[in-house]
Amino acid sequence: MTATAIIDCNANLGNWPFRRMSYNTPEALLERLGRVGIERAWVTLLDAVMLKNVGAANPWLAELVAGREALTPVGSVNPTWPAWERDVAECAELGFAGVRVNPNYHGWELAGGELRALLSAAGELGLFVEIAVRMTDERHHHPLVMVPPTSLGGLAPIAGDHPEVPIIVANAKQGDLGPLGPGAQLPANLYFEMSHFESVGGVQTAAESLGVGRILFGTHAPYYYPESSHLKVFQECAFPEEDLAAITHGNAERLLAGLR
Amino acid sequence: MSAPAIIDCHVHLHQNWGDRFSCAEVLLRHADRTGVELMCLSMGVTREVYHGSGSVEDMRRHNDEVAEVLARWPECFVGFCYLNPRFLPQSVDEIERRIAGGPFRGIKLLWDLYCDQPNLDPIATRAGELGVPIQQHTWIKATGAYRYESEPRQLATLARRHPETTFLAAHTGGNWELGIRQIADSPNIFADICGGDPEVGYAEMAVRMLGAQRVAYGSDAPGRSFASQLAKALGADLSDADRQTILSGTMRQVLDL
Repeated sequence: MTATAIIDCNANLGNWPFRRMSYNTPEALLERLGRVGIERAWVTLLDAVMLKNVGAANPWLAELVAGREALTPVGSVNPTWPAWERDVAECAELGFAGVRVNPNYHGWELAGGELRALLSAAGELGLFVEIAVRMTDERHHHPLVMVPPTSLGGLAPIAGDHPEVPIIVANAKQGDLGPLGPGAQLPANLYFEMSHFESVGGVQTAAESLGVGRILFGTHAPYYYPESSHLKVFQECAFPEEDLAAITHGNAERLLAGLR
Repeated sequence: MSAPAIIDCHVHLHQNWGDRFSCAEVLLRHADRTGVELMCLSMGVTREVYHGSGSVEDMRRHNDEVAEVLARWPECFVGFCYLNPRFLPQSVDEIERRIAGGPFRGIKLLWDLYCDQPNLDPIATRAGELGVPIQQHTWIKATGAYRYESEPRQLATLARRHPETTFLAAHTGGNWELGIRQIADSPNIFADICGGDPEVGYAEMAVRMLGAQRVAYGSDAPGRSFASQLAKALGADLSDADRQTILSGTMRQVLDL
């Protein structure tokens, strides 16, 4: 497999309020990812998580990635705010591939009505929906801004009701997946980004449990060292070539090709 | 034996990966894929140990299991002897039996007592006499600590009382931006950077504040991935010399290899 084939489905631009970031501009991120052979990335804007008016992040992100085909922008939406549907529509107009939500930071649960409404809107506009379970390790949060991870409880049946919308679960550890139930019974439109999968050979174990076809390569760079995911997939695990191709780019390409 | 290119200062046996030999084989297989050549192995992760309710028999059994692994793969593992300082006389017996008598070459402490308590003093004194390091679990948790779970600042207190003894601050407190600072002025504490997420800046800050010769790569496998933890050293913006020091040089010095 050529290095250029790798798609990082979970990279970030911008700033996170609790740490001085590096490699967080388009140029610097691409240079940094390029050191491990990644030349394409789906990017969100870190700043969006803590903005009150989350939708303001989307034209900002569009401006940042303009003219950079290697970066696929993923917008941000808070479906508890009035007129959030306009933000989803704006993401589609800006040519974004999908929208990310941070339910834990924005005070809502997947089992409520927000996700169903968002999936309906995203489905009509041909966008995928990405659910970030966390942004950083809860044990080390700022003591005045402690945010538990998003529970995935209730997600599976809701996803099953919207088979036309790819749903990506990002930044989840294996332990977060318990409420979803057995991997083999999950709806086909559920995908899992692997940057937070841990334990020795943990990505391979997860692929066996969830199905290789659901696993998306992601780094969570530049918050994480991109070498982490790269070493997990290419060295620590022993994937056959076809599985490696699926995880590192094939699944992502299939997901995008399925969008309207 | 030629100098290993990568020494992992922190791996465990773990009941989720089968018995002692099965788990060791899992460690060896994945270590081989990632270039780790020597691993410092201690105690199994079991329910009673996790809950701080381990007995003297549990302590001895954990060390027996590590000893059996050491006997089978002596070239791949260095044994760290788990001590429960709530049982001080029996812990001292374990030091004499396992370390003074060989083949263990380090001490592992978890969260059975805060590490700045007086019960730790005879253990630290004997470790200094024998020239073996003490690896103390440390974590600073915004979400609440385990009972008797120590922070690096408490290890710094113990280290000040025992300047002749070498300590490894396991996980560097997890919250590494704070943990590195808590041990910065304790020259006999080394940062074991295992176990937390592979966050950019970790190794760079550790080297900046401690010097590479006080920073050691560790994984906390099998619960953690070798890969994610190696990324902290391999992905950091460091000189090649500092990177190699983290990957093996520091532990060669600590273990006098």
